[in-house]
Amino acid sequence: MRRSLMLTLMTWTVLSVPGLAVAAEGAAPATGGWVGPFSVLAAGLGMALASGLCALGQGRAAAAAVDAMARQPGAAARIQTAMIIGLALIESLALYVFVIAAILLFVQPVK
Amino acid sequence: MHIAGIPDHVLYTWLVMAVLISVSFVASRNVQLVPRGTQNFMEVVLEQFLALLDDVIGHEGRRYLPWIATLGLFILVSNLMGLVPGLVAPTGNLNTTAACAITVFILYHSIGIRKQGFLAYLKHFAGPVPLLAPLMFPIELVSHFARPLSLALRLFGNMFGGHILLAIIFLLTGFDGLIGWALTGQLMGLLVGTPAGVLMIAFTTGFLLPLKILVAFLQAFIFCMLSMLYIAGAVEEAEHQ
Repeated sequence: MRRSLMLTLMTWTVLSVPGLAVAAEGAAPATGGWVGPFSVLAAGLGMALASGLCALGQGRAAAAAVDAMARQPGAAARIQTAMIIGLALIESLALYVFVIAAILLFVQPVK
Repeated sequence: MHIAGIPDHVLYTWLVMAVLISVSFVASRNVQLVPRGTQNFMEVVLEQFLALLDDVIGHEGRRYLPWIATLGLFILVSNLMGLVPGLVAPTGNLNTTAACAITVFILYHSIGIRKQGFLAYLKHFAGPVPLLAPLMFPIELVSHFARPLSLALRLFGNMFGGHILLAIIFLLTGFDGLIGWALTGQLMGLLVGTPAGVLMIAFTTGFLLPLKILVAFLQAFIFCMLSMLYIAGAVEEAEHQ
């Protein structure tokens, strides 16, 4: 209960910081000054979540592949090929988030 | 180098093409039974592709050697080109990778249609159970359209991410500032800036550069491997049914 309250408060604080920063700058520009800071936050948080979960998934895949290679050293080459393909497919999910983060940071479609 | 009016990735794609064409011209200019030099090297490279094709597609995989080898060598040379200072990797731009991925998409569908006929190829989108076909068809359609998207974005993301990583290492960690501090000749600059700058250079060339070389080879391999798997998926149905 207390932990979840703390978590909520912390999340709220983190999310309100860019708003405060914008508010501190005085008169906000006409083109909503809130979206820029939040898009930077979204890029960072999204990339962190995606890479962390991608690491978990890739770790499971690599562990299973190493296990299989240790059991059957003869099939190591084929297992390695399958593992690399699987890792690439898992990694592409994190790369989607990376591309979205890059779009948010550099292209800035919403201002 | 930059020429006005020509985008960078197109210019460096031409450079990659020039490299590949001149290497293959030198290799095949004077073909001998016992290969030497460039011919020997290119034969070894192409034999790797042949082994992969035999492994993945099967006995008729050798028909697709020109396509897969061209794609793989182009992507490999483009990836490695991004490591040379002053040159730009064409694959670090989404337009180049999307062009490769869309041609793969069109190719494996046309191979499937030519092998099995249009209706039979359409049937393989419908799944094994006829009753579930209306459900399976949209799912299969989306998954097939996601293939070129993921191919293009994977290659682009890896190459572009490498550039961003290097830029962050160089700029955000104050690499240029440290070097500049050392070059001013101040005592503290010489004492702190020089070792820190040397450390950064050692880290970049000793760790990041080998990592990027590994990624360049790995991504070229994965792009070829997935293209082969897609072709194998389009061809295999004809042999079983």
